[in-house]
Amino acid sequence: MLMKRLTLSSLLLLICIKAVAQTDSTTHIEAVTVRGKAKKKMETDMKISVSVDEFLASSESISFIKRGAYAWEPLLNNMGMERSNLTIDGMHIFGACTDKMDPITSYLEVNNLATVDIASGQSGNMHGATVGGSIDLKRRNTAFAERPTWSGAYQTGFEFNNKQVFNLGNVSFADQRFVFDGSASFRKAGNYSDGLGNEVRHSQYTKLNSAVGMAYKTGRLSSVRVDAIFDQAKDVGFPALPMDLWLSRALITSAAYKQLFDDGIVKAWDSKVYYNAVEHYMDDTTRPENLVHMDMPGWSTTYGLLSNLQLQRGRYSSEVQLNIYDNVSIAEMRMYPQDRSNRTMFAYSWPWVTTRYAGLSLDNNWALSDKSQVNLGGSLGLHYNRSKYVEFNRIFHPGAPQEKTRALPSIHASYQLQLNHIHFSAGTGYGHRAPSVSEGYGYYIYNSFDRYDYIGNPDLNNEVSYEVNASVGYRKEKFGIDVKANYFHIDQYIIGRILSLGSPMNYQSVGVKGYTSLDYATLFNVSIKGDYHLSHNVHWNALLTYARGQDDRGGNLPFIRPLSYQTALHYSRKKLGIQTSLNRDFAQAHFSPEFGEDRTAAYTIWNVSADYRFAFKPCTATIQVGVENIGNTYYSTYADWGNIPRMGRNIFTSLKVNF
Amino acid sequence: MHAFARLPVFTPYLAKRLHRYLFKSVLSFRCNVNYFLRRIFSTMKGTLCCMLAICLAIASCTKDKTDYEAELDDSVIEHVEFQEAVTISSEGYNIRVEALNGTFYKGYNEVRLQVTNASGSVEHDISAVTFLPINMASDGRENTCPHQHTLLYHAEQDYFSGYAVFTETSENVHVWELQISLTVAGKTSTARQAITVRPQVNKNLSMTSFVGNDNAQYVIALVGPQKPTVSENELLAGIYKYNEPNAASANRLEFAYTPVNGYTLQLDPRMPEPSMGNHSSPNNKDLLQQANGLYRGIVNYTMTGNWTLNFIMLNDKGQIIKGTVVPGDFTPGVVGVKSALHIDILF
Repeated sequence: MLMKRLTLSSLLLLICIKAVAQTDSTTHIEAVTVRGKAKKKMETDMKISVSVDEFLASSESISFIKRGAYAWEPLLNNMGMERSNLTIDGMHIFGACTDKMDPITSYLEVNNLATVDIASGQSGNMHGATVGGSIDLKRRNTAFAERPTWSGAYQTGFEFNNKQVFNLGNVSFADQRFVFDGSASFRKAGNYSDGLGNEVRHSQYTKLNSAVGMAYKTGRLSSVRVDAIFDQAKDVGFPALPMDLWLSRALITSAAYKQLFDDGIVKAWDSKVYYNAVEHYMDDTTRPENLVHMDMPGWSTTYGLLSNLQLQRGRYSSEVQLNIYDNVSIAEMRMYPQDRSNRTMFAYSWPWVTTRYAGLSLDNNWALSDKSQVNLGGSLGLHYNRSKYVEFNRIFHPGAPQEKTRALPSIHASYQLQLNHIHFSAGTGYGHRAPSVSEGYGYYIYNSFDRYDYIGNPDLNNEVSYEVNASVGYRKEKFGIDVKANYFHIDQYIIGRILSLGSPMNYQSVGVKGYTSLDYATLFNVSIKGDYHLSHNVHWNALLTYARGQDDRGGNLPFIRPLSYQTALHYSRKKLGIQTSLNRDFAQAHFSPEFGEDRTAAYTIWNVSADYRFAFKPCTATIQVGVENIGNTYYSTYADWGNIPRMGRNIFTSLKVNF
Repeated sequence: MHAFARLPVFTPYLAKRLHRYLFKSVLSFRCNVNYFLRRIFSTMKGTLCCMLAICLAIASCTKDKTDYEAELDDSVIEHVEFQEAVTISSEGYNIRVEALNGTFYKGYNEVRLQVTNASGSVEHDISAVTFLPINMASDGRENTCPHQHTLLYHAEQDYFSGYAVFTETSENVHVWELQISLTVAGKTSTARQAITVRPQVNKNLSMTSFVGNDNAQYVIALVGPQKPTVSENELLAGIYKYNEPNAASANRLEFAYTPVNGYTLQLDPRMPEPSMGNHSSPNNKDLLQQANGLYRGIVNYTMTGNWTLNFIMLNDKGQIIKGTVVPGDFTPGVVGVKSALHIDILF
């Protein structure tokens, strides 16, 4: 299951292959950068203009913890961010918020993305050690062109429920030697209303994103490329948290060199240096109910290098990648006493924690025959942590070392078989991951879900994952069905447990939890996906997912998605498309009261949308109108922080113009 | 051209025009391309400049990071150097009394004495030095404070050391004097000199005096750390008891205060600030007596700010002499309840 790019992108792959097949002498560069052409797919079944979060949500292996309308935390295989690798073109970038209010997906915008690669479990170790898998956000990357070519797109729209206005534009220029990609986007949304018509206060947001990329062809088979993304979110409300975001900004830069080879076993060599900086400032001044005024700024700075070699000979192909990065995460909290003349109280929630990682990943693929192939891969990484102000960590863990180095091995193997209409795959994996900055060095990080202050433990052992996965599918012209399942047995599973030590620091909290290792935990995910072409114009698809997570005593793990399904019916005729979908989460039977979860009731959401495509030379345009949550259902999902209600009925409109 | 040639008059003209037009348009197309490329490169330059500007803007973050060390330095001034506080002349000897920062403060003071003779060199032939702080009450009665009477000689650094716990500042009508006796070659000389005791601004070196359940008078003085950090701190304190004067005793001042032995100082540090809700810290250790007579424990401060060290003092038999158990509940918005025996600190 190595290259089990679940995705969203199996379709893309087809497009890629097609594009590769069509290339002429100008060539390979296009072949490698062709993913840029997949931009059309940054949309979901229901909506042509989506946010990155909405786009990810359409994948069967991703679910979300939502703290509001913005910056949802992606869960891959029902595992949180610390268990999966979130990268942008393989570049590591880490959020600067201790409360996970800024997953890196929040620093991008759909119009600077080409696609998202999702790899499950150990097959996601190409960019570094992981347990849950990897989510790699691929940026738009226009290919060199024979003749000077301009292209671009503009999307605009309005969503009625939260009065969201968005304007996204991007433009590309390409000729034989030079490529320029640029994009700018702006979103502004007010508070949304829930299914009862009540306004959910503090759910507004404003986001500005812009990206530029330039490539220059340095030789027949080589090119350099520089990229930069600047993202700024301001005045973002988090209704589920006791504070909002005043400002978060990210600057993501990289410079890459790519060399292709005509002959020999080495086909491509791609190296990149990168730098990114994230700053995140929370704001509680809009919450007069807060007893304590508090500043919680955070910074995260990462430098890195990645170098990737693609090898191929006959039926054998291989990918080798070197990943190196250095990250410093800093988060402060400063509490203001009620009598402001008294001295403020200060502590670090991330005491200047340095993380360095250097690892080599390898992925081999042998096509045994036209019908079957074997994947074998692995990675070995060295992971180093240093806490500058380790005395903070020593308060709860006397004698904790200031520095810690870990080795993170990983291997995985899979077999794939394609018979006439049936395809089958089975795989297994083993891998370690190091505790995240919060798990290792976090200090009084308030979790408003279970209302505990969390303390990291520098001496935590590596989490060790054993996984098996399998999939079986059947496809005949009009009908297809796919069943995928995976099972993780994770030793030394890291989770917060109530400490009998100390007392809370944040006034809303009820106690202190320390990150500890369970003996083990198990996680099982299964999804069934089907589609059927009822006629030439009518297409039906459905997805059913189920997951179960248990700790070593049989208790439930938190944030495990209950049984759920999504089903959609599409009708298209000429330039008109109509689709309707039904999403249902069944009641959350296996909730974890220990983590502040309660039984979340079942809910069903019905959506409908219609779009119309038309052309006015040289442009093509699509206009869409739709309604989400037609029944105006009042609901919250199992992973809605603090059970905040989701959006009620929402009418959305959008216009997309391509040229 | 052939077609044009048939047109008698206009032909050459038209041909010329057409040629020029075509040429021009091609030219202008080229120009356009050039123009475009130039535009692109200038845009590129612009973008690069813009990116650089953004880089710089980001690099110099919107909000500055806290300079933690500097902030600690600002809030607590640590004195590490012994400087001359007073020099007393006594029968040809100069007694240089040193204290941290050259100042006597209310509370615990370590003192160092160096004696020089008339020729200005350090006198080595001293067999004993006694040290006695005296304060004069308004009624003229003499009193003292906890102190080390017979000073210890440190041969390697050539000084005598001891301590004094000044229980009041000079400002509060107390007049303080030091009385020092030297015994050189069997001959004892005594000198007395007025000194100034200043208030201790560093609350981490505060002291408290109180009457215990046994009706005895006690003094607890913090000795260290001078400058705590958000960390595990070694907490040092001296505990002294006032001994009722024995009328018959001639040198009662010398024995007025003695360090208590075998006591326990139970510790419960908390932040009294209402918004902190009676916040406490883990892994603290009660203060127990060490070989040097001082009491040593562990206090963890989880953040900077105001803290209260809540104590319960037990005597050597385990009986409570002073102090009350403070509630351990987390009570946001309420000022923390303090023990009957406590010292407030701030860093």
